[in-house]
Amino acid sequence: MIVRQFRESGIAEFRGFLAQCRTNPSTPPPLSLLEDDAHTEVLRPPMVVAPQQFPTKADAASYLAQVLAPLPDHEVALNAGLWTWLSLYYFDEVCRLKQGKRAVTNDYSYVFEPKVSYHYYRHLLFIAWRVLKVAPHHNRLFLGGAVSSLEKFTSEVLKRLYLTRIPCMFEVLDRIYWDEQRGKARAGVVSPETIKPGDLIHRFPIRIRQLERTYDLHSLTADQLIELLGDEFRFEQRRAKSPRKPASGRDTAA
Amino acid sequence: MIKRVNFTGRRRLPRRCVEATVFEGLPRRFSATINLADYNFPSDAEVVLEATSAGSNVVERIPCGAAGSVKQPTNRALTEAEGENIFFTLKVIDRQQTLGRLLGLAEHIRPELAGAPVSGGRRGILPIEPANLKQELWRLEFKDQDVVLKVNKDVPGLKDRARSDPLFYAVVYPEVVRRVLAHCIDSGVEITEDEERWEVLWLRFGRDLHPIKESPPSQADPELDQEEWIEDVVEAFCENHQFKAKFQAHLLGSDEDQR
Repeated sequence: MIVRQFRESGIAEFRGFLAQCRTNPSTPPPLSLLEDDAHTEVLRPPMVVAPQQFPTKADAASYLAQVLAPLPDHEVALNAGLWTWLSLYYFDEVCRLKQGKRAVTNDYSYVFEPKVSYHYYRHLLFIAWRVLKVAPHHNRLFLGGAVSSLEKFTSEVLKRLYLTRIPCMFEVLDRIYWDEQRGKARAGVVSPETIKPGDLIHRFPIRIRQLERTYDLHSLTADQLIELLGDEFRFEQRRAKSPRKPASGRDTAA
Repeated sequence: MIKRVNFTGRRRLPRRCVEATVFEGLPRRFSATINLADYNFPSDAEVVLEATSAGSNVVERIPCGAAGSVKQPTNRALTEAEGENIFFTLKVIDRQQTLGRLLGLAEHIRPELAGAPVSGGRRGILPIEPANLKQELWRLEFKDQDVVLKVNKDVPGLKDRARSDPLFYAVVYPEVVRRVLAHCIDSGVEITEDEERWEVLWLRFGRDLHPIKESPPSQADPELDQEEWIEDVVEAFCENHQFKAKFQAHLLGSDEDQR
């Protein structure tokens, strides 16, 4: 199908469907909207999308980056009609059908709002594409999950522009927070309730804010920034140093 | 309030160190004059301008030579920076150390032509951006680096009216000033002379408008004192701009046009 973008009226129709689907989870997506000239318009230059299955966000990101390559990135990044249209086209991927029903989440997961600073990074398809654009490498923390959900790790990083503006940031995050055994982020680093040494939500942003007052972070390598971050963020080292807890929980000294 | 301690000798540079002008077009271009004469930086310290805009991941770095021999960017193309409201950061960096310690820093430098000059302020302290606001006409959005007046993009010409229409001014801006000042006091910033945060610019704007140039109350002061100071400023703001008189004159003019 030729790629289109929703007009305002198309976005409103799509929002209407989302509301209806929340009330009646078996409502079929209004696919006829996709080529309705009253609600959509063809993007120039013409681009073609085909039905796809995206096992992970990485699959969606690389496919969409390829499809949308003819457009300048900054135009793609602001096109609410395009990303919302893509959400409908790939609705089975972003809102999976389970036993004939869908669990529709907030509108911003499907309706792209590029000018709303607390919504834009929550759009499921856009954020996969965006991560690939700003982090062509070291992006497994962000692109490994299913395209139908947004991991806390991703939203906590992507909502803070001062983090993603630092060139070595994604390599640093990968080296600090990737857990090889789990095949995803370390456990407990995105817990909103508890503050832990080296966690992503509370400690990491504060430490970066401190360092950016002292160093030109844009010119640092990942090695240098990790060095500056300090021991709090060296999980392996901390684990090796920390004494093992006795099995009984009591002091076992003879 | 978070107190920041500066152990490293970094100097906070006032924004007036950089005078920048952005020229719209394809590509967008800019010129800047960087003045470090008043600061005793090592002559080999690196000078860099960074251009970015609210909401953008992209930071365009513009090398400007060394503190002893600054290369002033003249009519230079901005090829990477995206977004409507460009702002700059000036960094003076110690290159004698491996890790690039900052010797001087000026942030949120808003160029000429980007951002609307707010009534009564020489510097644009209230950028205006069109946004999808459904049936709402305007809204304030508070960000780390700015406060922005969002206006409904579906109303043709509203962005321009927000800058020049006496009706819009009279109806909207007193409330804008009231809300922004309340936010600034609540944020706990101090109105120190070397601070260049947007909240400080607004508080200075308020102090300068205040009938007896009274400094703003702090976050810890009683709410009544805060409200009283804000109301004094808003009253002076309205008085300075003669909003009621202009509003009435505008309405009268409209009535006569229709006859």
